[in-house]
Amino acid sequence: MQKYEKLEKIGEGTYGTVFKAKNKETHEIVALKRVRLDDDDEGVPSSALREICLLKELKHKNIVRLYDVLHSEKKLTLVFEHCDQDLKKYFDSLNGEIDLDVVKSFMYQLLRGLAFCHSHNVLHRDLKPQNLLINKNGELKLADFGLARAFGIPVKCYSAEVVTLWYRPPDVLFGAKLYTTSIDMWSAGCIFAELANSGRPLFPGSDVDDQLKRIFKLLGTPNEDTWPGVTQLPDYKPLPVYQPSLGLAQVVPRLPARGRDLLARLLTCNPALRMPADDAMAHAYFHDLNPSVKNDRC
Amino acid sequence: MAGNFWQSSHHQQWILDKTDLIRDRQHDLNILSDEEYQKIFNFFASIIQVLGEQLKLRQQVIATATVYFKRFYARNSLKCIDPLLLAPTCVFLASKVEEFGVISNSRLITTCQTVIKNKFGYAYGQQEFPYRTNHILECEFYLLENLDCCLIVYQPYRPLLLFVQDIGQDDQLLTYAWRIVNDSLRTDVSLIYPPYQIAIAALHIACVMLGKENQKSWFAELNVDMDKIQEIVRSIINLYEMWKSYDEKKEIQGLLAKMPKPKPAPQR
Repeated sequence: MQKYEKLEKIGEGTYGTVFKAKNKETHEIVALKRVRLDDDDEGVPSSALREICLLKELKHKNIVRLYDVLHSEKKLTLVFEHCDQDLKKYFDSLNGEIDLDVVKSFMYQLLRGLAFCHSHNVLHRDLKPQNLLINKNGELKLADFGLARAFGIPVKCYSAEVVTLWYRPPDVLFGAKLYTTSIDMWSAGCIFAELANSGRPLFPGSDVDDQLKRIFKLLGTPNEDTWPGVTQLPDYKPLPVYQPSLGLAQVVPRLPARGRDLLARLLTCNPALRMPADDAMAHAYFHDLNPSVKNDRC
Repeated sequence: MAGNFWQSSHHQQWILDKTDLIRDRQHDLNILSDEEYQKIFNFFASIIQVLGEQLKLRQQVIATATVYFKRFYARNSLKCIDPLLLAPTCVFLASKVEEFGVISNSRLITTCQTVIKNKFGYAYGQQEFPYRTNHILECEFYLLENLDCCLIVYQPYRPLLLFVQDIGQDDQLLTYAWRIVNDSLRTDVSLIYPPYQIAIAALHIACVMLGKENQKSWFAELNVDMDKIQEIVRSIINLYEMWKSYDEKKEIQGLLAKMPKPKPAPQR
């Protein structure tokens, strides 16, 4: 710990306090995440272990880098790459509307980070603006993998209580237990709309019912024709039958037609039809993406 | 984390060189012969296996715990930590990493006590399992550090399933090969070879045991270093040879007495 000088507290994470700190030798700024070891008998919390073991495997420029794990008497400190702010704070600092090129760049980087996770069979499960870090070069990085898990054979049930309500897909809201990468793609869609609206959340529901109603008012209430199997989901309940309303043009007025098309493919209620990350990266919306964003190899 | 073995910490940091491995063991091998060393690891692999079964863990979790155990002692002498403490700690850590759900520490300790008493009495006599929760938690920390936080371990089970599918589903072949993979955890192969090679070697042995000559063409078409496969096959066959003439119940007490041990910790 002598290696780092603590500068300021940045926040509270899933399992401990986060500090900004400086490496005394290299003067590099890092984020230190202190893992609380409670006196109960769990030992190192499994959320911290998950984050450690996944980030140890996932090295990509759109995923926050875990530099080191420091061990000291009864204390574990994770040393992360430091980013200036998260997407939530970025929204708060906006003066007026967001630049549409920034929307495109952030969205592409989000998808690229996700495509990498998914190709490594890792689900993030908790995507939200607070978990997307932005540095001063305009690079976006996925962070907070405390709820992520590696998936693979055998598929088993995951807890349904994992995603922050606003970014939760309808299948999870209906209690689906066997979800896949599609869970992250719905969240990415919600974040896409929020980006295009300069930080206004798309579906700020107050509880599960309200959340579902907000979704279906926009997209139409699904039925066995549009989504085979929906009525068989564990927590399925009949909700008012809304017709697909408005159209996305009213919801994300600043987004061009290609952007709205991509958004519609991500915000697809039936998870089997939701667009995966690598397909989304190849979508026509990104054809005129700034080449410096696209070619940036990790 | 399936399918990306080549970019994994397992491949990049934990495929060890055989000669390095033997060199790093020199301290223990000054005291124990090669065979005695292997017999001790065989014994603790049994403890991990039985503990895991009692706790109803999946074989994948048990295998991961066993690999943690082997990785730790690949870099440390047996006298660093009593393997009787490290074994349950590996089970504890692996069950968290593999998302089996946390085993409560009291349940772990109770299970250790029963298992040692009922199943391994021949090794420990009337001696009770001496460790408590605080020991396990402290040891977990030390283990984590020594593993360099590389916690995701690739196992041969998944490639094995794919290979058997490719050969043409054969339950008998799968059962045999699966058991051979379990047995391979008693050797050093999981430290030296990638899991897919271990799976192929296990299949190879299973085919020979079952007299399945017609699979020869399948092996011939594999684009794989057959010398490596033969090395793995030899390690596993050597284990079976050793078992033939070895009576653990008779010998293990002597081996445990001879084993290098930590200095007794100051009483707190």
